[in-house]
Amino acid sequence: MEANLSACPTYHAGAEPHPTSILDPRQQSPDNEKPAAPTSSHPQLQAHNDHTMAEAPKPSSSVKLVLLGEAAVGKSSLVLRFVNNDFQENKEPTIGGETLTWHATAAAFLTQKCNLPTRTIKFEIWDTAGQERFASLAPMYYRNAQAALVVYDLTKPTSLVKAKHWVAELQRQASPGIVIALVGNKLDLTNESGDADSEGADGDESGDARKISTEEAQAYAEEESLLFFETSAKTGHNVSEVFTAIANAIPETSLKSTRGPGAANAVSRGGDEQRVNLNGPREAAKEGCAC
Amino acid sequence: MESLGDEPWDVVICGTGLQQSLLALALSRSKKRILHLDPNDFYGQHEAAFSLQEADSWVTTHTGSSGAESVAQTTTAAPAEGSAGPGGRVFRNANVWRHPEAEANGLTFSRAYSLALAPQIIHTRSKLLSQLVSSRAYRQVEFLAVGSFYVHEPARGDEPAKLSRIPSSREDVFSNTSIPAKSKRSLMKFLKFVIDYDSDDQRDVWQAHADTHLSDFLTTQFKLDDDLRKYILALTLTLDGKVTVANGLAVIHRHLTSMGLFGPGFCAVYPKWGGLSEVAQVACRAGAVGGGIYMLDTSAEVETADVHDKVSLKLSNGISVQAAALISSRDDVSHGETISRLVAVVKSPLKSLFEATVEGAPAPAVAVVAFPSSTIPASESASDPPVYAMVHSSETGECPNGQSAIYLTTHTSPSAKKNLEQALGSLLATAAEQETPICLYQLYYEQTVSEGTPLVETVGAVPKFSFPSPSPNLAFDDSSLDTVKQAWKQVMGDEAQDDEFMIFEDREGADANDEIYE
Repeated sequence: MEANLSACPTYHAGAEPHPTSILDPRQQSPDNEKPAAPTSSHPQLQAHNDHTMAEAPKPSSSVKLVLLGEAAVGKSSLVLRFVNNDFQENKEPTIGGETLTWHATAAAFLTQKCNLPTRTIKFEIWDTAGQERFASLAPMYYRNAQAALVVYDLTKPTSLVKAKHWVAELQRQASPGIVIALVGNKLDLTNESGDADSEGADGDESGDARKISTEEAQAYAEEESLLFFETSAKTGHNVSEVFTAIANAIPETSLKSTRGPGAANAVSRGGDEQRVNLNGPREAAKEGCAC
Repeated sequence: MESLGDEPWDVVICGTGLQQSLLALALSRSKKRILHLDPNDFYGQHEAAFSLQEADSWVTTHTGSSGAESVAQTTTAAPAEGSAGPGGRVFRNANVWRHPEAEANGLTFSRAYSLALAPQIIHTRSKLLSQLVSSRAYRQVEFLAVGSFYVHEPARGDEPAKLSRIPSSREDVFSNTSIPAKSKRSLMKFLKFVIDYDSDDQRDVWQAHADTHLSDFLTTQFKLDDDLRKYILALTLTLDGKVTVANGLAVIHRHLTSMGLFGPGFCAVYPKWGGLSEVAQVACRAGAVGGGIYMLDTSAEVETADVHDKVSLKLSNGISVQAAALISSRDDVSHGETISRLVAVVKSPLKSLFEATVEGAPAPAVAVVAFPSSTIPASESASDPPVYAMVHSSETGECPNGQSAIYLTTHTSPSAKKNLEQALGSLLATAAEQETPICLYQLYYEQTVSEGTPLVETVGAVPKFSFPSPSPNLAFDDSSLDTVKQAWKQVMGDEAQDDEFMIFEDREGADANDEIYE
């Protein structure tokens, strides 16, 4: 687990250009001051909102991140933990989406910011919306994705097989420079449920449900040049670290400042000068009148 | 998978063409249980966009001249929903050609290409755009500007062949140096008339001629000379060159009133990465986010039609499902209008075609070149229909940098393919800065069109609504949206509220704060 924690102090919240982030308490979270701490509670969340407003704006870039992985490995839970710092037990899977929860809260994509020392990365996190179930993911899902989170359940061997399939699919379909993170979720179901690197892990787990060793997955990740983490969406362990590491791994050259809605087009050739904004000047049709 | 068959579906939609996909978008907040299938393993059906590999495999199943050869999607005897039955096929006579040294000349990996089967430009005033905005689906589509319209002028005496840009605004007409002053006045008079053509005052001018040829009307009523007539007819984008006054005026009115709506210098847009295919995919994603189930590579046929108020469908994967309504597409195209298409990838960015002509205009990614019938060099008779070329820059994402994708279309005739190739040659010879660029890849096929109205039937006790096949038009035709609404009403029944069609709030989580970045 080589999360470069120091590189992404999210409390460096920099210029929050707007105070409306109902969706992103995490970015002000103090997690990274104590990188190894479980992230299940955030007593200081609110307190951090205030002293972030004064600094000069940092460049902000939008990054499209796509989620892939077998059903029920916790893809949506990871995102909800990252975006809302929330976890819901016993979610009913639906046939369609990954979970009811995703549909209840969300949408085409969720957004969350990650503040790096020199820039702000705004993740647009795309869920498959169930379209992967019957091999029906559209090319537009992969289009311009600069990052992918491929999730498996470390208590379920078949889910790693499936994850490898998705990695291959990404290598085939996605932009060549895409940053892929392999994530083994449900660490809370193992004996190391807390943190390997913090002493007082919550010790009330009985038994170890782990079926995929860290070494096995890590070796595969190294072979394919993937970022690798083991997480628990339930406790929050390592969740923000995954996104931070991804944010750090995205080459500066492929980032562009965000303009316009849904503008996850940083890797597209050309860029924004070509885009037509449909919210543009509807009335100002001066050029049009040929009379 | 078993759970698919457990509960009946409110509607099973077969095919992911633009109209079915827009229907899925329209129903995406309805709480209806929707199963959306496509017999193909790609989205978009007749509006699909292909990588080179996908195009190759599509060609192998669309080579013949009729529906007699294998119907790719199903091995069963009964025609499957949403696929082409034996009655006829929308696409046929497909073949593909590659330059013998294509790779050495830059034809690169398959997925660097996204070639549209039936590309259409979308006028900025089209309801499609306002519906994509009001349904909140637009954020996932990148729209690019369609720039200049040109007419190809063959060599006259000493003057070499050239592409003349059609002036389409008052400023354009004034600054044009090749139109004589007298003609300019006639043209201005006509443009002024068209802007207002449907007013009480102006209707008298044309209504008596509504069903006559626009070309004659331009001569008799507005004294437009040959050149100007060519310009005006080119703007109508009509494939048979015989557009009526009523239709022609409507199209030119749309063109002129669309100019400048979303920014200076363009009247139409094109969705990046393959045109309407991208819109279909975005619409299907909205359907999935709304809870719809998507299955590609799966066809359906009616099993039994007498189960209470449902119809039982057998899917090609063996599962049986029940549906309270069926949506499909018309495949009875045997006697319809047929057009010939040639898609070419050329080794040149053809920069001269994509210059912004107005200050502040976005760089255009699409240019339109019309070859009026008499300008096609090889044309054996003056009655050969015109050819239109839609030239797409690599900004469309349809080809790599340094190349262009050119979509040529004409009415099918015995010489159609030759005329398309000739037009392509003339275009390359006149548009290139230096030497004529080489063509790396060509895909030819014919497209037949069903009747333009939907087919509404009942299967047992269940309504079945079949969308017409896509129109052959080169610009998106808003009437297909009326058909989508009609299907939506059919599915929604009493719940349908006219003023709620395609009008949605942003879903929670879709970022309402985007504005701050602008």
